[in-house]
Amino acid sequence: MTESNAGATRQPAASPNLELRLTRVISAPRALVYKVWTDPKHVAQWWGPRDFVTTIRKMEVKPGGAWRYTMRGPDGNDYPFDGVFLAVEEPERLVSEGSIHGDPEQKVWTEVKFSEQDGKTTLTVLQRFEFESYATRGAPIGWNQMLDRLTEYLAKA
Amino acid sequence: MADPLSTTFAALADPTRRAILARLASGEASVTELAEPFDMSLPAVSKHLKVLERAGLIARSREAQWRPCQLDAGPLRSVADWVDHYRRFWAESLDRLDDYLEKLKNEEKKHDRKQRRSN
Repeated sequence: MTESNAGATRQPAASPNLELRLTRVISAPRALVYKVWTDPKHVAQWWGPRDFVTTIRKMEVKPGGAWRYTMRGPDGNDYPFDGVFLAVEEPERLVSEGSIHGDPEQKVWTEVKFSEQDGKTTLTVLQRFEFESYATRGAPIGWNQMLDRLTEYLAKA
Repeated sequence: MADPLSTTFAALADPTRRAILARLASGEASVTELAEPFDMSLPAVSKHLKVLERAGLIARSREAQWRPCQLDAGPLRSVADWVDHYRRFWAESLDRLDDYLEKLKNEEKKHDRKQRRSN
């Protein structure tokens, strides 16, 4: 669970949290994928679920730089999502931390890795949800294990 | 009063309570049975059960003398739905990213053709 790379200083390693991991191969060179991921003009074109429109209010792509996005849902509601970049390693890695609805107790830590092979880019997204106020520090059992069992259970129910 | 999802997370934010739920996923059990794997007194286990019961994660039969505990999947489904929301966010964002890059590539090709013609 722990990684010793830059930007990891505020990583919530000790608290139980939920994790979401996914990978995707994109048919474009890494430099281009990274550019489209870090240029606000491009980000607004694809960020968010299909029926959402994203406005980038601020995006400073540098360690410690702030980003502020607002996603407008199909219901007309705005979902603000604010945070800061913890690590910016062009063109292979971005780490950021943000809060949902500006709630400091609902922190989301996100790492995106870009790797290239044969002109294609593999994106790896790791997202951790941290709930500080509810966390039992040093709990040995991760949320993942619980969620795996939960998913199995729900599949049966 | 916390919102239901927060109550569920609070109840889940303890390894003993998660282990109890995992045990109940394979069928109902009595307090004594649930206490067995833990180095814990029965009152301590009962305390954890009360937290789970208040969060609606378990139900306890009032009829039988030994009041067996049962898992209630309702609140857990809300947690699963909540995580699914993020899964959907990424799946659809990356689909859009894919489409957008395709569009950029096509525009570049058109641009190249135009340049070749004008040269």
